[in-house]
Amino acid sequence: MSHAFYLWMSYGATAIVLVAEIVLLRMRRAHAMKLVEEEKDLEAQD
Amino acid sequence: MNINWYYFASPTTFYRLAGRIAPWAFVLAVITGAAGLYLGLVVAPTDAQQGEVYRVIFIHVPAAWMSMFLYFVMACYGALSLTFNTRLGAMMARSLAPTGAMFTFVSLWTGSFWGRPTWGTYWVWDARLTSELVLLFLYFGFIALANAFEDPRRGDRASALLALIGLVNLPIIYFSVLWWNTLHQGSSVSLRGTSMHVTMLWGMLAMAFSFWMYSVGTAFTRVRAIILERERRTRWVRGLVAGAHS
Repeated sequence: MSHAFYLWMSYGATAIVLVAEIVLLRMRRAHAMKLVEEEKDLEAQD
Repeated sequence: MNINWYYFASPTTFYRLAGRIAPWAFVLAVITGAAGLYLGLVVAPTDAQQGEVYRVIFIHVPAAWMSMFLYFVMACYGALSLTFNTRLGAMMARSLAPTGAMFTFVSLWTGSFWGRPTWGTYWVWDARLTSELVLLFLYFGFIALANAFEDPRRGDRASALLALIGLVNLPIIYFSVLWWNTLHQGSSVSLRGTSMHVTMLWGMLAMAFSFWMYSVGTAFTRVRAIILERERRTRWVRGLVAGAHS
């Protein structure tokens, strides 16, 4: 196996996990906002 | 200068402060990351013994540093939350754990892809590698324990305790190459100096700073989501969401 394979596997995997974490963070933020909205709606119904 | 730490320990204040800092941290992470990659992949000379594959160190070493540093900071926040019963301390500990686990994984993964052409194997049960793997399991344990309780405050206390117990693993990781006869080499960089070429060193330091800023950005962004989740019944959070949609 050439050295390029080991370098690409290292740098590529790192880039993937960094981007995945950012995407998951955005999803979590959106979920948190949704929870707050739901809480507000529940209170409005009461 | 007199800083009112109690003021910044309030989730309301910290939410806004983290919101201001996080974007700048990401910008710094991108700039220094680009500089580090340029130095590491373009400017730094080829290693005489290892050839091009040594360039894995520009992510492997900073990731390993961050894996230990973030665990230390996480345990400090855990200690703060246990000692002073601060809500924000526990939230910060929770927000650091996934990023710390991610860097531990990156450190192990890139280490194995450096080890294959250099040592002839992806993995060996060497003291440094094994203790780093234990660190990954500690992060997983922390995350699992923090989310195992219906009452988040109980999860905070249990996970903070685990983080403090796990601190014992950090000196084991660091000194493993001195205490045991390991395949993993000793440190090339220390406070006394370095055995590396200056361009390699600067490339590695730039990447380490980039990972540090990335960690600040992700931890602050995550803690804002945690604050929203936990404080969603409070008036200030509802006002915030209403303001965001208006």
